[in-house]
Amino acid sequence: MFTVLLIVHGLLAVALLGAITHQAASVLWPVTRPAGSFTGRFRSVAAPGYANAIVLLYLATFTLGGIIYTEYRIFVRPLVEDLRAWSAFGAFELKEHFAAIGMGMLPAYWYLWRRPPDGRTRAVVTALLAFIVWWNFLSGHILNNIRGFGS
Amino acid sequence: MSAGANLTTARVAAFGIVFAVVYAVAYFFAVEQNWALVTYHPQLVEFGFGVEKPREGPAMYWFGWLATAGIIAGIAGVLAALLPERATRFLRPALTWAVPLCAMLAFGWLLRAYFLR
Repeated sequence: MFTVLLIVHGLLAVALLGAITHQAASVLWPVTRPAGSFTGRFRSVAAPGYANAIVLLYLATFTLGGIIYTEYRIFVRPLVEDLRAWSAFGAFELKEHFAAIGMGMLPAYWYLWRRPPDGRTRAVVTALLAFIVWWNFLSGHILNNIRGFGS
Repeated sequence: MSAGANLTTARVAAFGIVFAVVYAVAYFFAVEQNWALVTYHPQLVEFGFGVEKPREGPAMYWFGWLATAGIIAGIAGVLAALLPERATRFLRPALTWAVPLCAMLAFGWLLRAYFLR
């Protein structure tokens, strides 16, 4: 059961990672002329259209992560402590806090993408959320590799 | 845009900014002081109200910290949304990233020992 949830959590995280990376790239490095290259096309997406999907994906990934977290606390965390993998352990501790802080930013993030751009706030909020999503994805991936699938 | 729509927009903005700021601060102090609204005992699959000691297996406070911060920020956000527009003009949108960023850095500082071993 938890393995299925972990896989779905991972798939949702991949979708979230892709969406917010597209959006962050388009708002931080907007294209100024028709894109011809791969990176240009990557940045030239219609960024506002991603906001609702990102909020929903964040909520879904967060909820599933919260359910899986109970399993992590019983079976994975003691192993990581026994292995004395302190950097990975600390990265995962930060993941839970960063994920929570990101949740708190979602209403403002959603609002900022519902109105015309105003200064750099929207870009910075999006970049910070993108950083949180990347951090959480990588630290979760590392922890999963330490424990090993199905072990 | 009509006056009504402007008012709604201003209220949503006030809620969003205050929620982001208060949530980050409340969550930080909830973790630091362990103000967990609930405790989860994963081995027993049971929730307990407030901070409880571990029973069988570990006790999880994270859900309680989320609940504490969410309720405090929700109340603060709703109050901010109800205030007259002139009272919320001082709310700078930049606070929505500056305060959460400070909270993230503070957590990094609190947990630095894990990366320095």
